[in-house]
Amino acid sequence: MILSAGSGLASLVPEIILLAAAVAAMFVHLFFKRGGRRAAGAVALAGIGAAGIALGLTPPAAGVLFGGHLAGDAFALYFKAAILAAGALAVVLAFRFFDVEGREPGEVYYLMLLAIVGMMASVSAVDIVTTYVAFELFAIPSYVLAGIFKKERRSAEAGIKYFFVGTLSSAVMLLGLALVFGLTGSTRYAAAGPVLAGANGRVVLTAMALAFAGLFFKAAFVPFHMWAPDVYEGAPTPLVVFLSTAPKAAVIAILIRAMTALFAGQAGAWSLLLTVVAVATMFWGNLAAMTQSSAKRMLGYSAIAQAGYLAIGLAAWGETARMAVLFYIVVYILMNSAAFGLILLVDKGGRFDESVDGLRGLVRRAPLASAGMLVVLLSLTGIPPTAGFMGKYFLFTAAVEKGMVLLAAAGALNSVLSLVYYFRIGKAMFLEAGPEAGPVGVSRLVTVFIVVSAAALLLLGLLPSLLTGPAVSAALGR
Amino acid sequence: MNIPGIPILTVVVFFPLLGMLVVLCLPASRGRGIKIAANIFTGLEFAATLLLIGRFDAVSGEMQLVERLPWIKAIGAQYLLGIDGISLLLVLLTSLLTFVATLSSWDAIKGRLKEYYVFMLLLETGMIGVFLALDLVLFYVFWEVVLVPMYFLIGIWGGERRLYAAIKFFLYTLFGSVAMLVGILVLRGQHQTFDWTAMVAAGAVIPAALQGWIFLAFFLGFAIKVPMFPFHTWLPDAHVEAPTAGSVILAGVLLKMGAYGFLRFSLPLLPAAARRFAPVIVALALVSIVYGALVSLMQKDMKKLIAYSSVSHMGFVMLGLFALTPMAAKGAVLQMINHGLSTGALFLIVGVLYERRHTRLISEFGGLASRLPVYAAVFLIMALSSIGLPGLNGFVGEFMILMGTFPVSWLWTAIAATGIILGAGYMLWLYQRVMFGPLSHPANESLKDLTLREFATFLPLLILVFWIGIFPKPFLAVLDKPVEKIVRIVNPGAFEAPR
Repeated sequence: MILSAGSGLASLVPEIILLAAAVAAMFVHLFFKRGGRRAAGAVALAGIGAAGIALGLTPPAAGVLFGGHLAGDAFALYFKAAILAAGALAVVLAFRFFDVEGREPGEVYYLMLLAIVGMMASVSAVDIVTTYVAFELFAIPSYVLAGIFKKERRSAEAGIKYFFVGTLSSAVMLLGLALVFGLTGSTRYAAAGPVLAGANGRVVLTAMALAFAGLFFKAAFVPFHMWAPDVYEGAPTPLVVFLSTAPKAAVIAILIRAMTALFAGQAGAWSLLLTVVAVATMFWGNLAAMTQSSAKRMLGYSAIAQAGYLAIGLAAWGETARMAVLFYIVVYILMNSAAFGLILLVDKGGRFDESVDGLRGLVRRAPLASAGMLVVLLSLTGIPPTAGFMGKYFLFTAAVEKGMVLLAAAGALNSVLSLVYYFRIGKAMFLEAGPEAGPVGVSRLVTVFIVVSAAALLLLGLLPSLLTGPAVSAALGR
Repeated sequence: MNIPGIPILTVVVFFPLLGMLVVLCLPASRGRGIKIAANIFTGLEFAATLLLIGRFDAVSGEMQLVERLPWIKAIGAQYLLGIDGISLLLVLLTSLLTFVATLSSWDAIKGRLKEYYVFMLLLETGMIGVFLALDLVLFYVFWEVVLVPMYFLIGIWGGERRLYAAIKFFLYTLFGSVAMLVGILVLRGQHQTFDWTAMVAAGAVIPAALQGWIFLAFFLGFAIKVPMFPFHTWLPDAHVEAPTAGSVILAGVLLKMGAYGFLRFSLPLLPAAARRFAPVIVALALVSIVYGALVSLMQKDMKKLIAYSSVSHMGFVMLGLFALTPMAAKGAVLQMINHGLSTGALFLIVGVLYERRHTRLISEFGGLASRLPVYAAVFLIMALSSIGLPGLNGFVGEFMILMGTFPVSWLWTAIAATGIILGAGYMLWLYQRVMFGPLSHPANESLKDLTLREFATFLPLLILVFWIGIFPKPFLAVLDKPVEKIVRIVNPGAFEAPR
């Protein structure tokens, strides 16, 4: 192991940088007392940036690394980049959030970095044990992040809930993976996969169902989503951005690897399973979102529903679906972060108004951010010329190519359903008159954040090849 | 003006978008500057579309001035624009009506000017793109781009129930659109391309049963837009609540997008299904004609009356398209233009009164003819044009539709003809109640006649109403070949029967 490790170490430079940054952030936080908290954030952001650069310079590795534990293929690099981006967006929003909130737990920053390292490991894991360890490595910091304001009831509740459901799901997943080992005698995907294809169908299906159930929990797929709305509502907003994007990307990468390498012989079964999950997730997420009066909770359900669209791509897995899923995951991260960013845009006397009504007449106070938000909402709904539309278009195309026309139709119908609540936000911002009085601060940082996200969504909507080019080549391994 | 090397269709599509960017850059406080800029851009856009005529070969029935660029390689979508006679007329109608609508907004729109003109110009790019796109992905993108500005035009500058009307419009049409989207994807699965020209060239490759499903998906998208009975319920709300210019565009152009969709995509790409479903669609069209007219008779609100009359008139268009004869189809396209001109004008006419009196109730008016002679004349001409008086544009289109339908079924023709009679009924009755009789309301005594600007907005419409009515040949000439080409794909039998 140690001997062969040297050969793959170059592929891990981004992770090593992140770990170093995490340690540095921790010490900065501890030794510099008050001012050090923001400095810890800056260190974290710099670390993510440096890791991003290192990632860009890392060539995709052929074959497996570290004796078959990790893959350094282009697929992994793509997902790592997406996860880094999600982390960076969350850190930026955290700056704004803690500015207004007044208290800034500096551990947030290095916990995020540690979680990111776990996710980056998980997307390249091609071994059962490595997958599980990596999975836990990002799960445990996530629980702490959700409950970071431990004295605040909502946040504490979110943390506890996330912890209990999360550990349960990890255990279920581990059970499934243990069955795989029992059936095959190997922990390597590459070795276990072919054996599974020829093994007793019922046990393999049980193993797969258990392993996937654990993953579905983390991805907040319906019916494994119960924790998500509460956690998304209770946790501090920038951490919700983080928890609703990066782990989902990681889990989807794990799922894809498991689907294609481990359970390739059970394609019919997981396709059916994911079809059911996709339909349930989209409908449940969208219908539940309609009834919310809190914008934050509404966006929480929206995040659930959006993952349902991704599940369409997983159910219809193939060449087109790869391209579609890889495109949409990045688009999802952008849209979702920008949407939650809206909650952080305006503060009223040191507090954020999380209700939809609080957004009334926003176009008057923040025209630029409102215009940007309009693009984000269109993208979330899936209306051209935005990236959200293109992503859904690709996903539906993938489904139709596989003959799953009804699945595509269900996705399309959900676009319409989602319009109902996304445009409650749009209506509040643009069509309704807002209160004039009260001290109101509009954040320049969040404005830039939203406008840049919107510009990116428009650009990707008009020229999706910018992303599908590399996305395709990543998926095909160049 | 035949400058080679300039992609004129791209220019025509995106010039309003340039205008939008210019307006966006102007400070919101410079209301007058914004208005001037918007009017200049819509005016120049109209001029640009007129230039198209010079570069257009009326003899050819093929797509012309085609621009083709690779766009999304991963799914094979292209940036593909092209124009034939059908598109040409609709593009001209769009640019004219947008110009007219923009000019008519000068005094009518008072708040949030910048956003208003931004949305107006964005809307124009979307609409023109719809009529020129030949790649189905591109078509869908433009189709949807239209929804957003219209949502805001209704939602921000609309009447009392604007919020309800705006989201109803958006939801209804988005529902239809996504159904169409699924249809497009299935169609692509059969043809392996999104290219309209290639699909038409490929001919009948899709099994009839599958054609039926795709047709139904497209039908939802287009029928809601037209709108056909029973999918019309969004229309009265949207029309009544929309600002005048919004109504003009909605009735004048947006409804045509639905009919255009049937003609451009449903008929030639799914001919077997089109033949199979033609009787059903004709039945719905006939119901729309009679129902729309009857409901119009009952209306107390002028705008609602004209909105329902649109349902009736669009029923005529649909009848013409699905009679599947070249004569009726040509009449249908011409009727699309006619309806855009006369109904657009009628909405402007209502808007003129609304601006002055802030009511649209018929009972609030009466005897205006003596106070507003110019207005009365314009109103009369447009009302008669809408009814289909010989010598005015409406007659030509309706007559061609009836004449083209008659060989197929005398019964259809007879039912449709009752629609014309009812149309004369509600329109003349409206005119009588508003314009004739005693001037009973004191508030109407001081009403002012049309200003020069208002008259200028009506002038191009008036000219065209007479031109098409008296000498429709140039308009029909560009339609001959492309319409015949499409009808020949669906119903070759129509060309063999002696007429």
